[in-house]
Amino acid sequence: MPGSEENTIVSFRHVSMQFPGVLANDDVSLDIRRGEVFALVGENGAGKSTLMNILYGMNAPTSGEVWVKGRRVESFSPRDAIDRGIGMVHQHFKLVPSFTVAQNIVLNCEPRRGIFYDFAAARKTVEKLVDEYGLQVNPGDRVEDISVGLQQRVEILKTFHRGADVLILDEPTAVLTPKETDELFSVIRSIVREKQMTVIIITHKLYEVMAISDRVGVMRQGRLVAVKETKEVDERILASLMVGKEVLLSALPHPDDHDDTVAVEVRDLTVKDNRGLLAVRGLSLKVERGEILGIVGIEGNGQSELIEAITGLRPIESGQIFIQGKDTRGLTPGKIRALGLAHVPEDRLSTGVSAKADITDNVVVGKEKTPEFSVAGIHMKRGAMKRYAQKLYEQFDIRGAGIDAQAGELSGGNMQKVVVAREFSYDTPVLIISQPTRGVDIGAMDFIHQQIMQKRNRSCAILLVSADLDELYRLSDRLVTIYEGRLTGEFTPGSIPKTEISYYMTGGGREEKK
Amino acid sequence: MKGASRRSYLISLFLSILLALVVGGVLMALTGHDPINGYQQLISGTLGLFDENGFNICVWNDRGIGNTLYKAAQLCITGLATAVAAQAGIFNVGGEGQMYLGALGSAWLGAQLSGVSPWITIPLCLLFAAVCGALYAWVPAVMKVKMGINEVITTILLNTVAIKFCTYMATGPLKTAERGINQGTDAVDKAFLFDKLIPGSSLTESIFYIAVISLIVWYLMSRTTAGYQMKLIGQNERFARFAGIPADRLAIIAMLISGAMCGLLGMFESFGLWKRFRPDFSNEFYFDGMLVAMIMRYQPLGIVLMSLFFGVLKMGGAAMQSQAGISSVLIQIIQSIIIFFMAAEEGILQNLRARRAVSAAKRQTVKEG
Repeated sequence: MPGSEENTIVSFRHVSMQFPGVLANDDVSLDIRRGEVFALVGENGAGKSTLMNILYGMNAPTSGEVWVKGRRVESFSPRDAIDRGIGMVHQHFKLVPSFTVAQNIVLNCEPRRGIFYDFAAARKTVEKLVDEYGLQVNPGDRVEDISVGLQQRVEILKTFHRGADVLILDEPTAVLTPKETDELFSVIRSIVREKQMTVIIITHKLYEVMAISDRVGVMRQGRLVAVKETKEVDERILASLMVGKEVLLSALPHPDDHDDTVAVEVRDLTVKDNRGLLAVRGLSLKVERGEILGIVGIEGNGQSELIEAITGLRPIESGQIFIQGKDTRGLTPGKIRALGLAHVPEDRLSTGVSAKADITDNVVVGKEKTPEFSVAGIHMKRGAMKRYAQKLYEQFDIRGAGIDAQAGELSGGNMQKVVVAREFSYDTPVLIISQPTRGVDIGAMDFIHQQIMQKRNRSCAILLVSADLDELYRLSDRLVTIYEGRLTGEFTPGSIPKTEISYYMTGGGREEKK
Repeated sequence: MKGASRRSYLISLFLSILLALVVGGVLMALTGHDPINGYQQLISGTLGLFDENGFNICVWNDRGIGNTLYKAAQLCITGLATAVAAQAGIFNVGGEGQMYLGALGSAWLGAQLSGVSPWITIPLCLLFAAVCGALYAWVPAVMKVKMGINEVITTILLNTVAIKFCTYMATGPLKTAERGINQGTDAVDKAFLFDKLIPGSSLTESIFYIAVISLIVWYLMSRTTAGYQMKLIGQNERFARFAGIPADRLAIIAMLISGAMCGLLGMFESFGLWKRFRPDFSNEFYFDGMLVAMIMRYQPLGIVLMSLFFGVLKMGGAAMQSQAGISSVLIQIIQSIIIFFMAAEEGILQNLRARRAVSAAKRQTVKEG
């Protein structure tokens, strides 16, 4: 009998969730024990987030029961869930960018003095929380100015401030660097050990499951197909449970036939970040045709600013950038693209797609004035556009409600396929790729990796930025490490093990070079 | 909008209008008027299906129809002017000022060119009116694009500047010497004026120009690559820039088109109704057009149709006031209620849809269980 065990804190009993057209959860029964780290894994759309959204009160289940701390949940709303001690950190953070860290944490339960907001007390509360849980943040910083990793800490602290003892983390590491991930994991371990918190972590990354969890549940197509003690399984077993077949990513061959033509050259580049501080400080690099240059670094060391400068989305302070031998200074993003560059941006939702536009509009953009899709660059050929979109939809295996559906309705992995489909179909000699598989399931990840390799083998010059070391090692011909806006080393994936490259990611190489 | 979302939108629009008319009827009854008579007056003042006694159907009211069409054309062109800019992500609240400058500029030029062939003068005046409006819209557009200054605020402020400037010109330096006219420029030569299409009404030949302009704008917005690019800018500017769309240039172009349309409308007013520029020619009707555009979510075809309906309301309101003694403020209330419901529509519909999905799913599980 579920729930009868004394240390069961959350219990799902025959929970089903029916959305229009989709059975997102199918008769799921699951007990979570007090004080454990429970990992919930599964491909995109397997129903992990739906199940946790039910626990957090975002949706009421269509049928079945949820018990928390020995009581049956009658009313489903986040407010009730918070009262029951459930806290959730979503994949897309829900913070007010212009507020400070402290203001965000106490949001909705602000300390007051009389009718006035007590800023000093808010700050003190947050400083106390920071000390108590060892999550370092600066209460006075504005959220829009801090890194994604820090924003996540703010989200976690927010749940603690509201008294959560069950913490749900929805793909928490998708946005983190390896170092930040380690820090997050040590925080999770300490709150579980010292505060008897229960942590439920939704993830795609199997090595993280192995690293952090006590037990793991595997979901597939809405069903909970297995619940195991983590020490009894390995990544291969989990992967096969997730997809129903074995797909651990195999090595990709790198035939060495690239020509020596330099397609991208960056000379002594300096770029400022949003706060006006130097983010890229005198950086030079070259990418030749037919090779993938991977940039290895902890997020926030100038990678984003470098990419935005190369693609014309951010002005440069000094230095030069050449695409196909042409200086890009003063050119708009559109003109730089015309030099032969395509770009998969790091943030697909805000930059990679227009969420309100349909898939057709999203894949055609950039080609709308070509003779294929317009008469004299003026009159749109809607029919041709739709046929083209349908072709890409099938070719890139996008799974959704068809080409007329809004891009915003797609799952993360499929949205990323839309971005890749569009950018890769420009057939440019230069590709700038940022975080190509962030928050994407294994199947889609492998597919996108194959597409990138194909481009490389067709003499494309590819600059790759990723927070995922495995991805960088799997794809890159050369690796450069970046630290505080400067390159600290250059390697080939074979010449340095993953465990040692982190030395250079934390600034290790600089002193040696001097 | 497409498919199901468009259908549900139209349904809620229809319901909103119905509800608003019911509320209007209740208000009439509460203030001691007969709602049936009131609405009959509204119809007979515009279309003429009833005579004054409330029967004798199908007596067409030519004057009413003319005035209604005139009002509808006005709403249509101002609504589309709002929509062109709004779809490209830039909000033109300054149409009133652009219209004033177009009205003054074209009337002044028309008076200067007395005696010249209308085949030369009218195109020149059209061009000049459009340029006046467009240039005045260009200022806030450039300020937004180059300096990031909010265009809503600048366009509102520039309205006042333009209206005061035109009033000053029409009562000072450009005031006509004609006797009995306190404010207004010299009369435009009769040969250039737009003829009345229905005698006694305000409907002039300008409606043909407005029809052509509307058609061009519809085509631009929904069938051209420029319209496609503008739409993407309005939806997600960051994405549009990233994809290489020249967002700054297109925002300025959209604003120029919007301003030109307002300038042209100003000329139609001067050359149609007033025969000169008069500073009191407008009753802030750009803002009525803006409302129509917002209700129809900047969809060109919808704006055209909704303009007709609002034309009936506006002109019918006047008839209600004169014939049934019901204040035309009531029409403004009805108009506001429609907007209110349409604004609430999204929230209400989502709520209903979610409930329906849940109960359908429950039924299904019960069946399966």
